[in-house]
Amino acid sequence: MKRIIIADDSTTARMFIKRCLQIIGLGDAEIIEAEHGKEALAAAKAQPADLLLTDLNMPVMDGETLVKWVKASPKLGDLPVVVITSAGNPAKEAQLLELGAHRVLNKPVSPPVMMEALADFLDE
Amino acid sequence: MIEHNPLYQAMISAASKTMEEMAFMEVMEHFDRSYEIPTEELVWTSLLINDPVQGEIRLAMSKTLLSGLTCNIFALDEEDVTQLQRDDIINELLNTIAGLFMTNLLKDNQEYRIGLPELGMDELPEVDSDTIVWKLMTDDENPLQIFVSGASLVALNEK
Repeated sequence: MKRIIIADDSTTARMFIKRCLQIIGLGDAEIIEAEHGKEALAAAKAQPADLLLTDLNMPVMDGETLVKWVKASPKLGDLPVVVITSAGNPAKEAQLLELGAHRVLNKPVSPPVMMEALADFLDE
Repeated sequence: MIEHNPLYQAMISAASKTMEEMAFMEVMEHFDRSYEIPTEELVWTSLLINDPVQGEIRLAMSKTLLSGLTCNIFALDEEDVTQLQRDDIINELLNTIAGLFMTNLLKDNQEYRIGLPELGMDELPEVDSDTIVWKLMTDDENPLQIFVSGASLVALNEK
């Protein structure tokens, strides 16, 4: 069973993401919800995860800082990170990809977009 | 100088896409341009636009619409919906509308920064000359209003 961390300060956004994951065939994954980057980082360190889906604008620790921490960590560096944000634009996307994010998706995210973004992950 | 697309249309497109994809509802211009949401029915939230222009976006709707949206989105009966869920829905709707609005508005991949939504506690701030209002309604005629304020942001409407 895959272990997926979803970091977003909005319960609505987390619910939409979970619904997308169910629709694209990841309904049996273990989902860990985090309200900000710090909580997500702690969850990733506590137990190995297969995927991290994160918002960008969050209190306490934002998504960009979370990507930096994950990619700088020898233990977590290989964890695929997908950023799902309402504050995305091509310049920000390029910056996040440069930092090591796997993909950057814009809200509202739909199941087909999620499926395409996670195609490699779903094939494993 | 900021290169941008038409401001009014950028918001209509952002609001329509957000409501369609998150709430499965169509929005259109309200048939009565003078319509105001009664104070006792009003709920609103706002967020700041920090860069490249400075301003604020407010999203206001009726409590009836917000309750209906929350039931639909969380697939719950009205008596099972919590205030926290209602608050979260309106904030996330504004967050998504604001992001799409700025993406639609700015040309040439310009970066922008927006803040986090904060629920409004009192009456809506007065509409002044530095405010643009979108009076919309859903297909079942529930009111939804969007306000953009801030001189540098609103000035883009005239260029």
